Amino acid sequence: MAHSVETHATGGARERMSALLGQPWSGVAMLAIFYLILIAVFSVLSPFFLTLRNMLQIGGNVAYIGLMAAAGTPLIIAGGLDLSVAAIAGLTGVVISMLFGMGVPIWLAVALAIVVAAAIGVVNGLFTTRLRLNPLIVTLGMMSIISGIALVLTGGLTRPLMVPGFNWVGSGRVVGIPIPFILMMVTFVVLWVVMTRMRFGRYIYAAGGNAEASRLIGIPLEKTVIILYVISAISGAVAGTILGAMLGAAGPTAAGSQLLTVIAAIILGGTSLNGGRGSVWGTLLAVLILGTLNNGLTLLDVSSFWQDVTRGVVLMLAVSLDQIRTRALGE
Amino acid sequence: MATNVPRLGMHGIGKSFGRVPVLTHVDFSVEPGEVVALLGSNGAGKSTLMKILTGLYSRDGGTIRIDGEEVDFKDPAAAVAAGVKLLPQEISVMPDMTVAENIFLGDLPLKRSLGLMQVDKATMRSRSRELLDQLGFATIHPDTLVKRLSVAEQRIVEIARALAGKARILVMDEPTAALTEQEAKMIFRIIRRLKENKVSVIYISHYLSEVFEISDRIAVLRDGRNAGTFNTADTKRAEVLAAMLGNTVDDLYDVGTPGLPGAEILNVENLSIPRKLEGVSFALRQNEILGIFGLVGSGVEVLGRALYGALGPLKSADVRLAGQSYRPQSARAGKLAGIGFVAAERKKEGIVADLTVRENIALPFEERFERGLFVSKDEESRHAIRWIEDLGIRTRGPEQKIRTLSGGNQQKVCIARWLVEGVRLLILEEPTRGVDVGARREIYGKLRELANRGYAVLILSSDVEEVAGISDRSLVLDRGRLVGEFERGAKPAELMAATGNDPAFSAA
Repeated sequence: MAHSVETHATGGARERMSALLGQPWSGVAMLAIFYLILIAVFSVLSPFFLTLRNMLQIGGNVAYIGLMAAAGTPLIIAGGLDLSVAAIAGLTGVVISMLFGMGVPIWLAVALAIVVAAAIGVVNGLFTTRLRLNPLIVTLGMMSIISGIALVLTGGLTRPLMVPGFNWVGSGRVVGIPIPFILMMVTFVVLWVVMTRMRFGRYIYAAGGNAEASRLIGIPLEKTVIILYVISAISGAVAGTILGAMLGAAGPTAAGSQLLTVIAAIILGGTSLNGGRGSVWGTLLAVLILGTLNNGLTLLDVSSFWQDVTRGVVLMLAVSLDQIRTRALGE
Repeated sequence: MATNVPRLGMHGIGKSFGRVPVLTHVDFSVEPGEVVALLGSNGAGKSTLMKILTGLYSRDGGTIRIDGEEVDFKDPAAAVAAGVKLLPQEISVMPDMTVAENIFLGDLPLKRSLGLMQVDKATMRSRSRELLDQLGFATIHPDTLVKRLSVAEQRIVEIARALAGKARILVMDEPTAALTEQEAKMIFRIIRRLKENKVSVIYISHYLSEVFEISDRIAVLRDGRNAGTFNTADTKRAEVLAAMLGNTVDDLYDVGTPGLPGAEILNVENLSIPRKLEGVSFALRQNEILGIFGLVGSGVEVLGRALYGALGPLKSADVRLAGQSYRPQSARAGKLAGIGFVAAERKKEGIVADLTVRENIALPFEERFERGLFVSKDEESRHAIRWIEDLGIRTRGPEQKIRTLSGGNQQKVCIARWLVEGVRLLILEEPTRGVDVGARREIYGKLRELANRGYAVLILSSDVEEVAGISDRSLVLDRGRLVGEFERGAKPAELMAATGNDPAFSAA
């Protein structure tokens, strides 16, 4: 009771605040401002930071992470979660290098690896929808299985993956822009169109916003979620392909450590872990912010161990912000 | 003096939510060892009053005294400590614990052994035994896992737990809702034992026959005010019903004339769902509003969704939809067969809060707004605006988030969703629950209009006035069976009386 009196007293200011935070663009706008501040700070601190070369470098470096975060965004909006995506990226590099070693043409190897990933996505989807298991548990288990298999296949060793045409995908440029960055941007645009202009996109937001209501009005809930798991898994495979091509090598644990970055980017980007809300553009900005943070700290010669700490802090800040936003929107 | 002090005295209780008054100056008292039934239609304020008593809600005004001492419970734990215990409608027991553990959950007897404090199982067992004996249920063994007990026995364990916690005032909210008549008798037996032990019982129920069987006194609330207190022994059912429902004829339902019923749209033969519905048969025609009234637990909450398909494939039912054989299978199949369904729990099962009014209206039939690969927002908007205007949905426009609309306007959106070509049957559960009076009238008017336009409308509701008021024909559901059929113009009291299937009182 005392509580509700208090809210009434400060209602005016709170209402304005919540109206502002409730705007769909407010999260993205805040991120954009934060991004610009970050760029300004690093430009002052390091003469090497604000150069075209370095900016493009950042874009190329974050691309494989951005791909996974892009695909993870609609999945989380629909009420799912994929913790196995980075492990799939690791396995993909391994599968490609092994198939190639066995004489399979490189692009066929890539295609087969993507098919494997899609199958993993179907399994994730079936377990979470048909059996109604918690996606956290299902994909955590899947992550463990997949990274285990990748280690078994390679004996824990990194395998070379040097194929001229193939490596170009990782390090090539078109009119100066890194190819991975282009791939990532195309993914973001396509997902944006699907999510805002297509029936499937409507189902994504409805499924995560209110699964029970969606079921009762006859939306194909399970199909929607399963497809999103498949898309997420495929994004892991493409990310693994890019990473392998960039490094010229496939390590079973190459991408595993980036899982946290992927999830952090999606949440920092304003997508609600409760589902129903979020946009891919928020995720893109968050990916760029996290990439810029890494790059800037490296230029400033800060130990890479500290970069883990910063990423964790940013993630926790982002989650707190999401919670505050949710409350401001009113229970 | 001590003889005149009631066990519980609530005086001048007031409560409002926002600007809506829910309770106005309500008085309520219970003597030691007395069973008082608290009656009232939906929204009369019964549960709010009991939530205030048990510390779940704060009150805006009034006093509460227990044995003459003024009390002010800040939370349910404080109420329990003072001996006031609420048994909610949903049984809350720990299924994987034993009967004895459940009974002593709040206050486990401890003993020191091997230097550690441990649960004293022997004491717990013997005291459970005593309690169950005292209640007259020696057949329930303290070591049995609660999940192995019947629903009625679980209820008894719950009551034993309240007694172990030294409850002096027991509030029972629809304690027999999920029970058979036989099982209900067991609960009555316990209540009589409780009386002997000077425990006061507040009994909330819609079942008049139960109320007359078990209570000493009946207190009636209507629209958040006292509407009468009766000594059960010298009162007739009709007096109580009149107090509950009032005698004024509402113009709420005076919303246009019914048309002539057309072709048969729905025909249900022998629909049964174990423990919920038994042999339900009825038919519904075009241009007709059929209302089915039932109290909580009567099956009224499952009948509509079962027909729609939301409960999955139905094994035992013979349903015809517009002359074609139709087997309820899934919500999606029901939709494609031409059924529109508006669920009772609007927030949980109806609206998608974060989406706009436009998206909420377009959602079920999104494919109809596609132009090529893409959904045409213009088409969605045009359709949404048409129904916003037609149904009088008060919104700044189709792009407003539905969460910011009032309950009545959200409900209209949930109806608007189904107004597309191909849908012939509208099934609505509790169509005006949580809707203010003005919007209620508009919704009734619109349902009448839709019926006149050729829809068949099926309403399932626990609001007896609503069913009596709006239906062209009404059916009454009681414990899973249809027990009465009424033509347009039947009085709410007649429908309500039909649920009390105890012959001893049907004369009243």
